[in-house]
Amino acid sequence: MSDVLRHPAELTYADDLAALKATDHHPKPVGWVLSPQSVVTYLVGGTAGGRSIDPKYVGNRRIIETAVATLATDRALLLMGIPGTAKSWVSEHMAAAISGDSTKIIQCTAGTDENQIRYGWNYAQLLAKGPSREALVPTPLLRAMESGSICRLEELTRMGSDIQDTLITVLSEKMLPIPELNSAVYAQRGFNVIATANDRDKGVNELSAALKRRFNVVVLPLPDDLEEEIRIVTRRVSETAQSLNLPEAKNVVEEVTRVLAIFRELRSGETADGKVTIKSPSSTLSTAEAISVMVSGLSHAAYFNNGVLSADGLAANVLGAIVKDPVQDKAVLEEYLETVLKKRRDYSDYYTTLTELI
Amino acid sequence: MVGDVHYFGIRHHGPGSARRLLEALEDVLPVEVLIEGPSDLSDLIPMLSHQDMVPPVALLAYPAGEPERSIFWPFAVFSPEYQAICWAVKKGVPVRFIDLPVYWRLPELPSSENENEQTVAPNVEHDSRFGSPRSTESPTQQPPEQSGFSIERDPIGALARVAGYEDGESWWQDVIEENPEPGPIFAAVADAMKALRDSVAPPKEHEAAREAHMRLEIAKSLKSASGPIAVVCGAWHVPALKEKHSMKDDRELLKGVAKRKISATWTPWTAPRLAIDSGYAAGVTYPGWNKHLWETSRKEQSTRWMARTARCLREQGQMVSTASLIEAERLAVAIAAIRGRPRAGFEELIDATVACICYGNEIVWKSVADKMLVGDEVGVIPEGVPLAPLLEDLQKQQKITRLKPEALERELMLDLRSESGLCRSTLLHRLNALGVGWGQLDDPGGSRGTFRERWILRWEPEYSVQLVENLIYGATIEQAATGRIIASLPKAKGLGELSNLVFQALTAQLPEAAAKVSVALEHRAGLATDCQEMLTALPPIADALRYGKARHVDMGQMAVLFDRIAVQAALGLHHASRGLDDEAAGTFRDSIRGADRAIRLIDSVALSSWLEALRDIVDDERATALIGGQAARLLYESDQLSSDEAVTLLGRKLSPGSTMSEAAGFFEGFLEGAGVRLIHDQSLRSCINDWILEIDEESFVEALPIFRRVFSNLDKMERQRLLVAALGQETQHTRYVVTQGIDHCWSEHVQTIASILKGRADHE
Repeated sequence: MSDVLRHPAELTYADDLAALKATDHHPKPVGWVLSPQSVVTYLVGGTAGGRSIDPKYVGNRRIIETAVATLATDRALLLMGIPGTAKSWVSEHMAAAISGDSTKIIQCTAGTDENQIRYGWNYAQLLAKGPSREALVPTPLLRAMESGSICRLEELTRMGSDIQDTLITVLSEKMLPIPELNSAVYAQRGFNVIATANDRDKGVNELSAALKRRFNVVVLPLPDDLEEEIRIVTRRVSETAQSLNLPEAKNVVEEVTRVLAIFRELRSGETADGKVTIKSPSSTLSTAEAISVMVSGLSHAAYFNNGVLSADGLAANVLGAIVKDPVQDKAVLEEYLETVLKKRRDYSDYYTTLTELI
Repeated sequence: MVGDVHYFGIRHHGPGSARRLLEALEDVLPVEVLIEGPSDLSDLIPMLSHQDMVPPVALLAYPAGEPERSIFWPFAVFSPEYQAICWAVKKGVPVRFIDLPVYWRLPELPSSENENEQTVAPNVEHDSRFGSPRSTESPTQQPPEQSGFSIERDPIGALARVAGYEDGESWWQDVIEENPEPGPIFAAVADAMKALRDSVAPPKEHEAAREAHMRLEIAKSLKSASGPIAVVCGAWHVPALKEKHSMKDDRELLKGVAKRKISATWTPWTAPRLAIDSGYAAGVTYPGWNKHLWETSRKEQSTRWMARTARCLREQGQMVSTASLIEAERLAVAIAAIRGRPRAGFEELIDATVACICYGNEIVWKSVADKMLVGDEVGVIPEGVPLAPLLEDLQKQQKITRLKPEALERELMLDLRSESGLCRSTLLHRLNALGVGWGQLDDPGGSRGTFRERWILRWEPEYSVQLVENLIYGATIEQAATGRIIASLPKAKGLGELSNLVFQALTAQLPEAAAKVSVALEHRAGLATDCQEMLTALPPIADALRYGKARHVDMGQMAVLFDRIAVQAALGLHHASRGLDDEAAGTFRDSIRGADRAIRLIDSVALSSWLEALRDIVDDERATALIGGQAARLLYESDQLSSDEAVTLLGRKLSPGSTMSEAAGFFEGFLEGAGVRLIHDQSLRSCINDWILEIDEESFVEALPIFRRVFSNLDKMERQRLLVAALGQETQHTRYVVTQGIDHCWSEHVQTIASILKGRADHE
């Protein structure tokens, strides 16, 4: 039992990877640990020589195939999707399966600068010896290029556009010039980049057209199936509630079902029976958002409502999740309440409380 | 017996098998080509290879005099049957159809007795050679899943789906054409079909009869043949045709169907109608893709497909670089490799397009998907081909409705409550929907009530031509009108236009079109944000609802839709009434007035929200004055605003605090066309009076047009009375005096009237 809180995927699922490697008979691209076919199997599940491989990603197989195929060409992969659609999870497992190493990762933020993307300097060395290879501090990207493995860029759109664009040369010419040393680092075969980005948040830096067209973009969708989403939310809510020491409410599943039904209708722009078209608000209403609504509801229930989840306690959070833009979203919600929810008897408590709050 | 007969089991509308079929025909050089198709229509075959005949076209047949029971056999340029016919005609080889004659199909079709009962779903089997012999009566009643994927209809597609392919052609290519060890393809297909057939129940009566008929026809040809014979039929039938059956047994199967006279011709067809999810399914999921496969050589298929995608996207205003195309094609190849397919097919190309060219945004691809996968070409029929069905139907309808085409203008009054009136009105409305302006509806505003229509009739010779042009939409006037309205759906912009289409479909008694349009309307209503748009949609729907009552049409969904749009409009009304310029305010005012009339007319449940919204506008200081005035007036007229409140409101709005333009706007909104109110309402009048007296001369001159608009529709008497009232002179009240003994007089008077009325009634 180690004291490490969480191991990277290649350690946690070392057995799966080993089993796949042992039975892999498809040709492998240079620098890859597994063949593309086995990488797909690793992600979506299957069998390898009698051992069953658990799916790491539940969803459309075609999406994963496209993503893996992208990395097998020399194009970079950009995983897009709203928060909580397993982008980072997929990126980690892909890096683990392809390079056997998912730790070459750069977390992009508004404060990320060029030194963290290209290379930095060890100033003591720099002063002592002048510009030299020894004084250069390689970044994960540089190391990935040198070792021919996958580099992960998390939340690519969070860093400034000017910094993003330093990637252009790396992606198209597979080399990183070091003008200070009058040399360059050339990427080894097997090098590639998996970036993740979310397209719904406000305040992100749009990718420049030049950079964008160096990526193949694969969008990870929200769960298609209501039942599946309810399971995900209920499980995550009870986990979070436990870690916050909140007592478990009895009617969690019912309320999750009702809140998710509202979220999914607003998100998809039509009622569940597909009969009525409605407008969608500007908010993302992702699975992750539903989870946070339920958790705040639980905390309200525990402290103010004798541990019973109710429309009263949840409505304020639901409202907050839906109405991000005070004018447009409010109109959208009003319309939804009047044209859809008003007619549903089993949602009358939500209709009443939401109408009052709005 | 099989000796010299070559069986070519093809995939209907499969470009892959079409290509191989031509090669095989060149190889075999048959002396006669037999094709699976209605044997009594063989005479029409040569026309198909006419130089002016441009596919997609369809063979159309119907029992003489009953075009509403038409059956279609579509042909696309990539159909193996089409190519085989063209080949045979070019080489001078005799070619004929060998399937059951058309009249065999008739029992499956709805008989004319129940043709008016739209609810009766015709019992159509899906066993035609080109997919289902749809009766056009119900082009959409069968969901595509049912008809599309049955194993008999498209056995190759079924095999492909089992193998995990979305598109049968990709499978054909990968498994049959790209097979590293090519062999006799048609023999291999026949073997596969034999295996498939062994696993399902033997063919039922009709299916068995068809195969028996084909066997007999083949045998007939074989008797007189001087060389090899080619049989082109659906792959599914090959094993059955090869089997040996005694002719006697086969003849036994062909008994018992009455012969009927059949009319048949060619009709232009469209690519969308070849597609499986539209009306007359031909069993082709993606005609655009099939056409692409047929037209391009195999080496260039992905490259040209990508280039076409790029062109389509660029036409939509998307930026697509050549470099992206290269990347996309490479990605497609890589995906194909991962999926273990020899070549990038349909699914790979789409996945790669989305990832590479559309930046993961599937909606961008969807915007061109229809154009690429389905296509939009329309077939052309050479001149000289009889285009009878629509004209024949018109003559039939004219006989039924006893309306004669006359070149001179004449008036026609119709009472929709009578059967004949309704019948005539429906025909004229349908013709109008087809762009044939035989009758012009006079006074479409409907001031005569919902039960009367006045038409001006005049027949022009060019109407025949215009009518025939509609053949592409259907074989009868009803079907063609339905088809045409549905086809115009994508072009309709805005709720107003759509609700007009619904109204048109309803007055023309086209329930199917009406249903389609109202679905589109509902969808559009959900997304509409423009309050003006919603308001303009309301009056036509209200009219439709009223007309629906007169025309026995089920309006359930429309009433719900009306309420919904009305509620939506009411919610948005408040915001929309702010900050409008003169012109916009004018249109908006008219829309509000129309919507208000509509909402009251049909007594919508949205009325309370609507009144609330009007009240909000009146109370809102920021609302445009003209709209505010109009809202106040609507409330006042419906007694939602008491006389006192109105006076207070008007006083406030016209007080010196508000600017001249605002006050004038409110005044106009409140009183335009209602000046007569001022004669009777003393308090309102004094309000206005005070205001007008306050106005300085310059502003007064500026506001004169408004005053004119308000007071112009008063007649001379009324103006006189208003003037007298305004100048403070004592109005000459009509005096009422109670006369003694009037009771007696009155009852006598009533009795006289009653006896007159009764007497009249007796006489009649």
